[in-house]
Amino acid sequence: MSESFELAVIENRNSLVDLLDRVLATGVVLSGDVTLCLAGVDLVTVKLRALITTVREGGDG
Amino acid sequence: MSGSGTYLYAVTRPLAGSSLEGVRGIGGEPVRTVAAGEVACVVSTVGLDEFGEEPLQRNLEDLAWLERVAREHDAIVQALADLTTVVPLRLGAVYVDDDSAAARVARLRSAALATLDVLDGREEWGVKVYAVEPPVQNGTGPADRPSSGLEYLRRRRGELERKAVDAQALAQDADSVFEDLRTVAVLARRHRPQDPALSGVKQPMLLNAAFLVGRDGRPEFHHAVDRLAQSRPEGAVVLTGPWPPYSFATLDDA
Repeated sequence: MSESFELAVIENRNSLVDLLDRVLATGVVLSGDVTLCLAGVDLVTVKLRALITTVREGGDG
Repeated sequence: MSGSGTYLYAVTRPLAGSSLEGVRGIGGEPVRTVAAGEVACVVSTVGLDEFGEEPLQRNLEDLAWLERVAREHDAIVQALADLTTVVPLRLGAVYVDDDSAAARVARLRSAALATLDVLDGREEWGVKVYAVEPPVQNGTGPADRPSSGLEYLRRRRGELERKAVDAQALAQDADSVFEDLRTVAVLARRHRPQDPALSGVKQPMLLNAAFLVGRDGRPEFHHAVDRLAQSRPEGAVVLTGPWPPYSFATLDDA
């Protein structure tokens, strides 16, 4: 690539948190007839709370 | 409840079935397309022991499960984005069968076509901006202790007021960065700033934004991000992408 970046850090799309921002918080919400629960629920608030807990419990601080 | 269901990844314009040959979805199941009027549903079969309403609720709380499925979901959406314009669904849309998924999408086909038109030839970029600690103020040395309880309270109030002013300044800073980058993007939206416990970065995140940019507008957008980065301390600006247009996929249920 010819573009040069001095300071902006370009990350690959490896970060799980960046991915979850997208696949859990955005994207089309269509209620499935099996998974009605995901429609209209602010999933990310609930799930990320669980995630933070998990990360803290399992993490190195 | 056991049995199988149809997991819906995304909506696209009709695709030649052969273009998805060899593409594997969640759990290694083959990915296929199902026609829904003038658009196509991209689906694979999942077990309801894992993706039924109740098991799914449980599994979403399991970080290892969530990571695996999120990455599998993303891999399919990314593979589609490499082939054609894609409208990704949120993770976890499961139907009793293909017909049911197709019927649901067919009702929204005009909205889907309109969204596909907006997303054609465009990609998503993420920009995260972290607040950087202001330099330590050395005005109050260790010897400079409050002379009384009242003096302590006065200082404490001043500190809190400064913090409130700082928070306001940071919010304004985030707004101005967002507005600035928006001028070189087609569409823009803000995600919630990531919790430091999740981002792994101690500095608070000021801005977590996504921008829809034409592929031909990529250099201009990168240039704008580069300018922003150069005006800030190293590491304060992080660019991610290109992403499939997750943050700009909407189908308004008419």
